[in-house]
Amino acid sequence: MMRLFRNIGYFFREAGKVLWMNRLSYIFSFIGTVLVLFIFGLAVSGWRISDQFVDMLQQEAEISAYFEENINIPEAEKLVDFIKTIDGVWDARYVGTDEAHHRMEEILGDEASILELFEQNPFEAFIEVRIDLDKMDNVLEQLKYLKGIDYVRDNRDILEQLQGIAQALEVLVYLIIAAVSITTMVLISHMIRQAIYQNKEHIYTLRLLGAPNRFIGFPYLLVGMLLTLLGGILASISIVYLLREAYGQMKGILPFIPLPALNELAFWPVTSIMGISILLGLLGSLFGISSANKEKRS
Amino acid sequence: MIEAYGVSLQYRDGTMALKNVQLKVDRGEFVYITGPSGSGKTSLLKLMMGIEYPTSGTLSVLGRPISRRNTGKIRKMRREIGPVFQEFKLIQGRTAMENIIMGMRFLKIPYREMKQEASNALAVVGLEHKAYTRVENLSWGEAQRVAIARAIARKPALILADEPTGNLDMDNAVNILSLLESIKDKDTTVIVTTHATHLIENQRNVTLIHIEKGNITIERRGKE
Repeated sequence: MMRLFRNIGYFFREAGKVLWMNRLSYIFSFIGTVLVLFIFGLAVSGWRISDQFVDMLQQEAEISAYFEENINIPEAEKLVDFIKTIDGVWDARYVGTDEAHHRMEEILGDEASILELFEQNPFEAFIEVRIDLDKMDNVLEQLKYLKGIDYVRDNRDILEQLQGIAQALEVLVYLIIAAVSITTMVLISHMIRQAIYQNKEHIYTLRLLGAPNRFIGFPYLLVGMLLTLLGGILASISIVYLLREAYGQMKGILPFIPLPALNELAFWPVTSIMGISILLGLLGSLFGISSANKEKRS
Repeated sequence: MIEAYGVSLQYRDGTMALKNVQLKVDRGEFVYITGPSGSGKTSLLKLMMGIEYPTSGTLSVLGRPISRRNTGKIRKMRREIGPVFQEFKLIQGRTAMENIIMGMRFLKIPYREMKQEASNALAVVGLEHKAYTRVENLSWGEAQRVAIARAIARKPALILADEPTGNLDMDNAVNILSLLESIKDKDTTVIVTTHATHLIENQRNVTLIHIEKGNITIERRGKE
């Protein structure tokens, strides 16, 4: 290990020479790596925004529990307190008839005058229950058989669609991560194999001189890591620039989407790109070196 | 140092390169391996470097058995060998000094000492003024001397030179052989293959191994 550190300057010089000797090929591979990592960064950014959006919608996921007739307010409040203790319930709140009427007025907006046709308030009091979507079935089951609750309006279809969107987005991001990982690894390992092939005479001489595999392979490992690391830095800079430019516009065009703060939003793609570029550079290089070694032995 | 008992080498295409070789080379010995082209000289050297493995028999070099099962030990053994090749095998795009130091970087030698050893080796081969010349700008004779400098700078126990004069004119060839002979001391064994027997006709205090069609004969020449 000490010898590895002692030779670090030599390894970087050798890596530089390998890069310089095949610069045209590496430039194209580098551009490819930057683009792949950039797409990955876009996917992560999109995922963060949509994740926050779905999170918010999930937080708003609620069901309405309507009372049996002749139930008084203290009894209703007892029921609210009990419902709060059910596993999967985030919050429960008593909504009186006046509040229900007022809410409908807000929903109808300009058309709210239609409510004036009623002589009496037509809306019933109910309990608004905010729930964890994953535990929706359990909550509904318990509410349905609760004494004092007449019926439950569950919005199941909408809630299930929300759940589906969240799951689909998650799967999509995993697919993108897998595609990016495979593409980058193939790209890097192919580059390393090519570099090893082009320097096979040099490597053979070092083998004859008794150089250990890690001494021979380290400059190629550095080549792979430098390419992905620099690619990651460039992709991160591009993503931050793009986010900054697009951020204001998105806020204007899609005001209903709750965008996270720019710094928070940029943090995820940048750390993901840098992390994955280091990891894939390392794995791709090791894979390239080991497959070139296997080919030589066979 | 080197011991071979009943060593044979047959290549995959069926060519029998060496047959039943019995050989013992001691520390400090200077050995010429001669024979016509294709006689098996390089095959014997390849066995000694662990590039090929004996098809039958046992061979040990520097106390390590040469066999397919010992590749790790063979790699370590090569660190104690100073190889010199007919086609030099210098790393292009690097200076003479860089080539020599590159051959030592993975040995347990401090960098300062490595540089000093490389300078000394270049002085021995008379090329200290070309230390920072790229090897592709050297003449063939100079390149071979750099290859020898790379071998001796490692302070090896064994120098294996495969046709080191093969690509050189007569004057350079004589100089290279003289240079190799000047290296020998009681601790370093030198083995040189050559088909140019006229260059070593009058050599004394050497061992001559002649190979013909895979069979070897050994002649030990003492001091006059």
